Amino acid sequence: MTSAKLSGWSGRTIVTVVLTAFVLFFAIPIVWLLLATTKSARGLIVGNPFAPGGLGDLSANWSALFSFQDGAVTGWIGNSALYAIGALVITLIAGIPAGYALALTEFRGRRLLLVLTLIVMLIPNTALVLPIFLELNVVGLIGSPLSVILPMSFFPFGVYLTYIYFSTSIPRDLLAAARIDGCREYQVFTKVALPLAAPIVALVAFFSFVQNWNNFFLPFVMLPTSDGYPAQVGLTSLLASTPAFNPSSAGAQSVQLPTLALATVVSVLPVLIVFLVSQRFLVAGMTAGGTKE
Amino acid sequence: MVRFRAARRSRLAALAGAGALTLALAACNSGGGTTAGEYGFPQVEQDDKATITVWVDADRTKAADAFTKANPDTPIKVVTYDGSANGSNSFRTKVQLFDRAQSGWPDVVFSSQNNDAAWASQKSNGKQAFAAVLNDGLVAQDTLDQFTSGSLNPCTVDGKVYCLRNDLAQAVLWYNKTLLDQFGYQVPKTWEEYQALGEKVGREHPGYIVGTVGDAWTPEVFFWASKCRANGITGPKSVTVDTGSAECKRAATMLDALIANGTTPNVSVFTPEFVKKYSGKVLLMPGPAWYAGAIFNNPESLNVPKGQLGVAPPPAWGSDQAVTGNVGGGTWFVSSHSKNLKAAESFVRFVTTADDYQVDVAPGYPAYAPAAEKWVQKQETSGYYATDLKAVVEAGTSIWDGWGSGIFSQEAVWAKTITPAIADGKSLVSLLPEWEQAITNQAQVNGYTVT
Amino acid sequence: MTVLAEVARATGRAAAPRRGSRMSYAFISLYAALALAFGVLPALYAVYLAFTDAEGGFAGITNFSKVVGDFRFRPAVTHVAIYLLIWLVALVVLVTVLAIVVHAIKVRWLSRTLRLVFYLPGALAGASSVLLWLFVLDPTASPVGGLLTLFGFDSFVQVIVPGNLPVIFAIIAFWTGAGGWIVIMYGALNNISDEVMEAARMDGASPVQIAWNIQLPMLRKWISYMGIMSLAAGTQLFVEPQLLSQASNAIVPNDYSLNQLAYQYAFGQNDFNGAAAISLLLLVIALALSAVFVTRGGLFERD
Repeated sequence: MTSAKLSGWSGRTIVTVVLTAFVLFFAIPIVWLLLATTKSARGLIVGNPFAPGGLGDLSANWSALFSFQDGAVTGWIGNSALYAIGALVITLIAGIPAGYALALTEFRGRRLLLVLTLIVMLIPNTALVLPIFLELNVVGLIGSPLSVILPMSFFPFGVYLTYIYFSTSIPRDLLAAARIDGCREYQVFTKVALPLAAPIVALVAFFSFVQNWNNFFLPFVMLPTSDGYPAQVGLTSLLASTPAFNPSSAGAQSVQLPTLALATVVSVLPVLIVFLVSQRFLVAGMTAGGTKE
Repeated sequence: MVRFRAARRSRLAALAGAGALTLALAACNSGGGTTAGEYGFPQVEQDDKATITVWVDADRTKAADAFTKANPDTPIKVVTYDGSANGSNSFRTKVQLFDRAQSGWPDVVFSSQNNDAAWASQKSNGKQAFAAVLNDGLVAQDTLDQFTSGSLNPCTVDGKVYCLRNDLAQAVLWYNKTLLDQFGYQVPKTWEEYQALGEKVGREHPGYIVGTVGDAWTPEVFFWASKCRANGITGPKSVTVDTGSAECKRAATMLDALIANGTTPNVSVFTPEFVKKYSGKVLLMPGPAWYAGAIFNNPESLNVPKGQLGVAPPPAWGSDQAVTGNVGGGTWFVSSHSKNLKAAESFVRFVTTADDYQVDVAPGYPAYAPAAEKWVQKQETSGYYATDLKAVVEAGTSIWDGWGSGIFSQEAVWAKTITPAIADGKSLVSLLPEWEQAITNQAQVNGYTVT
Repeated sequence: MTVLAEVARATGRAAAPRRGSRMSYAFISLYAALALAFGVLPALYAVYLAFTDAEGGFAGITNFSKVVGDFRFRPAVTHVAIYLLIWLVALVVLVTVLAIVVHAIKVRWLSRTLRLVFYLPGALAGASSVLLWLFVLDPTASPVGGLLTLFGFDSFVQVIVPGNLPVIFAIIAFWTGAGGWIVIMYGALNNISDEVMEAARMDGASPVQIAWNIQLPMLRKWISYMGIMSLAAGTQLFVEPQLLSQASNAIVPNDYSLNQLAYQYAFGQNDFNGAAAISLLLLVIALALSAVFVTRGGLFERD
């Protein structure tokens, strides 16, 4: 009895220590990045990494960022939102039913589609860029938002998530029962499966959004004009305007590192908001999942 | 069994689809009406009213602004990109895709690198080279002649000029006059004196430095100036690499001594480490012209106060005539596919030669000699420098021509093979064969014949 | 409920497939179209590229022998292999453990905050990370400078010597990637019913026993999926060396990994055929390795 209690106590200590270590591991660089936005360029380099800067420097960085190329940053974020949300919507419409069908229905070619999806996920992107570029060029889409949205909305990762979710957490008998009750096939999906799928929809939506938001190479290749750049591509041109990464740009007009840090923080805010929203659905999923037995 | 057959059938269907794709691709290669052209390359039908698309990096948007102000009637569309900086290679990446699609090229491109002419002047898989020849009538010979002599070398392949140089980045000897006077030292005139001074500094004032070897352009600053044939580009696809020569060894030996006594640390001037450790401690610094704005007169870097920074001509080796190296300097290209070559030409001519940009706005030393003269005057009147800037002008004309601009990056080779090895404590002299091997390998995979 | 299900099973089996089949095709149609356009066709074109030369003529295996003979190929294979070993083991083990631990925390706000903290780095990408790692790995300016000096590093170049790189990349990849998987695993753990867990607890099983005997088997498919995806990500190592290459001004080479080498072939040497050949080699390796996860994890099976 005592030994069990003792091991419970020391187990708890170990867990706490390990968790704290991991929290520090994940959080310290983020804290540093947040503090960096409040510093002057020189302060960032010579000061203590954890010494906060001042509001004055923060507002100087802020105005430097939003005056870069006459406020190009706002445009980048708008573009990112357009691409990420556009692709997200198509991803969900295409991917959730597909994952459901792969997991819970029987049709010819099911295994083939699963295998193909897996293979495509394993091909290095480097190999796919040129063919996709040529394809979209043939149909004359290069430079239009669709040239980014369409390839991004192919999201095999999400289809697999959905597939595994449906095949592990929804009993097929439940669907069969619904069919007995006279549900048509699409009703089985919309009335029975979909309401139980909130957590996975949230999860897929979130990962698709993040991947789209952070996608660099596809928009870089597809969009020939800077008006259409999303935040990630824009950030690279910001990076290329800092002397530390591009000595030839050294001059009075160059961008300073804290401004870059601020740009970073501003550009990931939407991702964090989406994360917090989708977390609610993950928790909601807990109760939905509870009713299934 | 049934499933297997089904799978095979859909695989066949997919293959057929891919075939259609290739056919469609082949079909669009034959388009476009090109004629032999009056400027030495095939050109498309010209339209004087056509809008030209101009790619610039963030800094060079000011050049485009200046052009629009001076020529409000020429329609231009400005696109900003990263300027191909920091090894991103985006200029080439994009042009390759356009070459495959046979459409979409911009009319004018600024690149922050100077090894782009090496590929842009060449046919790509049998298709027309991207860069327009500029010295066959497109740009007036008078104009070309007024560029600082040698400054168009990185743009010249087989005697043809494929780009205009935006700025020069000749290496000079920067020094802190106040500190030098205080310690009672003389500015070295030869590399031998430089080494002796470095050794003296190591003994008398440890912690102070006379240069750095941590940046990728170390070979351009020290080995180029020593006439070391590490990068003897002799043709579009041939290069001579010989790092075993006495010229290479003398530079390596000198640096080994100075690395050992801590006066030329293996630290990049753009790291926080450099700023923290060496602010106020830089006595001498051989380096490109742009060091002035990038590290000395820059509040986020060394921040050397007004009236302290001096500049001397690059040192010579013994009694040889002094030569120097070059680290970067942007280039402007005109596309051979442009529909409005006239406007494109007037744009690149304006941004490289007009005072409105090169003298009034540009941060770097102009490659166009008349502009350079005025630019230097303007810098001198700022009162920042402790000396005049004659040395910078002189260095601009004494860049050694035995070091070329190949398609591959010498800087990347150095950074990858030599910098970590110095950090491991190896001596440069012992690394010379390894360096040669690395350059040779890199040249060969890029299709060069190495001798 | 169960009786109903039994009946359903008996009667439904026979009738459902044909009726369902047509609907199934409707369900997958849009996805299949996207997959064809942006996955399968491009992949086939890559295969075509790998076996042809620049002019489009059949090249046999010359592209493959060319890339394998490249002086950068062998080092790249070694780099990727070492990295993969460190990264895969660390990811699969640590993510599973962390997810189970976080799931075991009953204080809601704490568990939610922990997930947020673990996830935060995943939101950063590209240019942002370049800036961050330039500072974090520089002992003189790093927020973890003390730790780096403790290991005997006092200069940025010393930290990024080739011997340290696999570990550094594994750390960076774990830092950015683990949070997302923890969230997925957490979601999966939510789907294990409370009754099962409760019953086990009533039987006197300790948390470790529950994790080992109940949670792990239930997570089988998820873990194997994570294994495959991380394997693919690992063999395709690209982002981490690329961003360190930028931050270090090329001291970390831009041809460190196989995927970077493919990229260099395509865009540095204008040799899309060679690039496609490397990509195919990578694909074959990734497929062979992931076969282990597919079979062990029963990924294609239906329970």
